[in-house]
Amino acid sequence: MILHILNRSPGGSLVYRDALASMGPDDRLLLIEDGVQGALPAQVRHFEPVLDRLFALREDLVSRGLEGRCDEAVQVVDVDGFVELTEEADKTVSWF
Amino acid sequence: MASTETYRYLQVGERAIALDPEGYLVDLADWTPEVATALAEEEGRTLSEEHWEVIEVLRDFYARFENAPAMRPLVKSVAQALGPEKGRSLHLMKLFPDSPAKVGARLAGLPKPTNCL
Amino acid sequence: MAQSDPPGELLVILRHAPHGSSWLREGLDAALVAAAFGQSVTLLFQGEGVMALLEGQDSGALGQKGTSATLEMLGMYDIESLYVDAAALARFGLTRDDLLLAAEPLEAADTPAILAAHPQVLVF
Repeated sequence: MILHILNRSPGGSLVYRDALASMGPDDRLLLIEDGVQGALPAQVRHFEPVLDRLFALREDLVSRGLEGRCDEAVQVVDVDGFVELTEEADKTVSWF
Repeated sequence: MASTETYRYLQVGERAIALDPEGYLVDLADWTPEVATALAEEEGRTLSEEHWEVIEVLRDFYARFENAPAMRPLVKSVAQALGPEKGRSLHLMKLFPDSPAKVGARLAGLPKPTNCL
Repeated sequence: MAQSDPPGELLVILRHAPHGSSWLREGLDAALVAAAFGQSVTLLFQGEGVMALLEGQDSGALGQKGTSATLEMLGMYDIESLYVDAAALARFGLTRDDLLLAAEPLEAADTPAILAAHPQVLVF
């Protein structure tokens, strides 16, 4: 399992498409930094193929006032959760 | 990348050749065989026919690929140009002790190889 | 061709076109350093990164070096496992004949397996 990390918003960059195209059936996707905008209900459809494996970093949601506005499909993790995800993965791949 | 910082000058005949802190040419266009000879003399080397043929391989490499080669591609291109006997790191280490890729690049008037340590 | 070779140790994914930013050059540098130290390296040109493979590139308007000479050099570093994003090629209206290196077109469905097969993956 690969943990893919995306720090760009789907509204501003198309890199999420390459990230999704590169994801295997068990791979997970973590949204960080501007990427967390993709966790909004109006944006989350961009991540439709991986909704059951979609995570967003709490600290980056909080700083943007987005914590309470996430789509319910998104699993919110804090930095410790981030570390855990990293440990569970064979490797991480960062998309930016 | 070629450094643009002139650290000192090397006198070659009438010309003062600008060198960067590591002894590479500031202006790669300054290179002539006389400059190579003078650079080599500074470190107590005399260039033999075997040095010159490797210097030529290095200059061809740079003309073609716009990069100075690290050790592995240097060995490979010497092997291609001069045959497998000379395309060995041992041969190159003998000609340019310590670091053939770096010393060779300096004498051949190339920038310092960026992708070798 | 590349498919029958054992997978490399490092996969470098190049997603940026030449000249617009330094990402492509930095990705190629990372690949070259790894190869210079004897790692087996695979490159995947993805998205706009396929532009790096275009035949007929030149230096920039101010004489800035391009990256095509560096691409020609990959073989000297034994970097010969090259993939190109087939969908991106089609999106830009390009075919294999437009490319300066023989990269193997990679269908979207086969991309995850390439990532999974390499112990280390870097994206540029």
